[in-house]
Amino acid sequence: MIDVAGIIAENILYIAMVTLGGMLISWSVHFVPVGGAPAAMAQATGIGTGTVQLAAGAGLTGLVAAGAVMAVSDSFALVIASGAVGAMIMIAVTMIVATWVYVYGVGVPPASAKVDYDPITKDRQDIYVSQGTEGHGLPTVSFVSGVIGGALGGLGGAVIYYSLMSTSTTLSQSDLVALASIFAVGIFFVNAVIPSYNIGGTIEGFHDPKFKKWPKAVLASFVATLMCAFVGILTIGGL
Amino acid sequence: MEPLMGMGVLALMGAAATIAGTTEDLESDVGSQSNPNSQVQLAPQMMYPHRIYNKAISGEPPSNALICAIGGTVASVLMTAGLSVIFAIAIGALIATAVHGTYCITAYMGRTASQKRFRQPIYLDILRSHTPVMMGYAFITTFCILVVSYIMVAVLAHPFPLTLLAFIWGITVGAIGSSTGDVHYGAEREFQNVEFGSGLNAANSGNIVRKAESGLRNGIDNSWFCAKFGGPVTGLAFGMTVFLSGWVTAVFNPALSLTMGWLSVAAGVILVLLMIIWNRKIEVAARKAFGPYKEEEEVAA
Repeated sequence: MIDVAGIIAENILYIAMVTLGGMLISWSVHFVPVGGAPAAMAQATGIGTGTVQLAAGAGLTGLVAAGAVMAVSDSFALVIASGAVGAMIMIAVTMIVATWVYVYGVGVPPASAKVDYDPITKDRQDIYVSQGTEGHGLPTVSFVSGVIGGALGGLGGAVIYYSLMSTSTTLSQSDLVALASIFAVGIFFVNAVIPSYNIGGTIEGFHDPKFKKWPKAVLASFVATLMCAFVGILTIGGL
Repeated sequence: MEPLMGMGVLALMGAAATIAGTTEDLESDVGSQSNPNSQVQLAPQMMYPHRIYNKAISGEPPSNALICAIGGTVASVLMTAGLSVIFAIAIGALIATAVHGTYCITAYMGRTASQKRFRQPIYLDILRSHTPVMMGYAFITTFCILVVSYIMVAVLAHPFPLTLLAFIWGITVGAIGSSTGDVHYGAEREFQNVEFGSGLNAANSGNIVRKAESGLRNGIDNSWFCAKFGGPVTGLAFGMTVFLSGWVTAVFNPALSLTMGWLSVAAGVILVLLMIIWNRKIEVAARKAFGPYKEEEEVAA
């Protein structure tokens, strides 16, 4: 018989940390400039793919990096920093190559349609937006926003993985890694999907008016991740 | 592990990842998967029937994650049974390819059949000629990703199981492919009928190019064009992701000391900062080279 109350009482800190990690992921997705199908046709600013897919791609790359570092180091700070860096590298590489394609392959300059001036470089944006489109490419503000989003997503994923790995259990090490990593991936997806209802297909980054809606998604993620955390910690702790 | 040996292993992983990224993008160009598919799907409804393979099994990341996870599972099982690694990976990739081919055919048949009312024919010759090409590309992608995952587990001692690593790299390669190479297909190849660099007016939606360099255009013509730029840069992007994220820990090994671990984090951050500056340089150069679309007039900031 599994001692549910005992496991929860023993791992209450890790339940809180998993929940926090989920909320971080939910917040991070709002930073990632995604334009969905319109961006793939250079009709909207941002990266030409779906919100969940890109956030997951970056965050899971961070998870791989965090997993590698956690196997050789027990420093919590180093593990989560490595997760953040892995995700940042993936998203920065994707964005720089996307810029090559937009500029050299499609022949359009990066331009935002949501603001007249780039908040970071102060460059005029609206006159560089081609007719009949909602901007294209990745202006500096979107690029920086994407890097921040990647970092937060990687951080969140790594916090979840670290917490699940630290749960007290009698599982063998290889089984624990497998369970913890699969739960971390699952919780990541849950929290990458929730913000897409706010984003509705396209967002340019933290300068986009839609960004202001993030508290609702983070609150929803709090509720969803708390339940995921109970299930995850109980499963790992009870085995 | 010796640092030099570590770099060699990393180079091999980077090379395999570059091939995987390239074939992933070309596979999606032949079959018109992912975002640009919205135009291929829309065209018959706007009275532009075409001979382009129309399959969108799902978004590229889940679709690639599926084939890589199937390949990884089969390879793991075969390796546990004592078969050689190369054989196990090849058979794993083969079975994944068979599953992918099945999905390609059902997606094309289903999607095209639902467009009967728009007079879009189902071309059986397209089905026969394109499906093996996509299966071939999917095989190379799965094989290379399994090689990367196997090296990570067996040589670099990554704690994650082989199948999970293959799944994660499948998600990542799909995310990169649909963010980079697909733009070349969706924004340029599908709309070569508008002036280069003029942007794609939303009013042109569905009006994709249907005539090829010779005859009517099909998916293989599209991959011929995208293989010149979109495919290779996708490969570079995935190769760079795998290589750089491993490079920082290969040079500054966190197993040696905590300081080395933090140096690896710092190296990663510096790489990202360099890419931000690089993007800015390209942005400035592009704005200067292409110029604004409209006359400049002062607006409130």
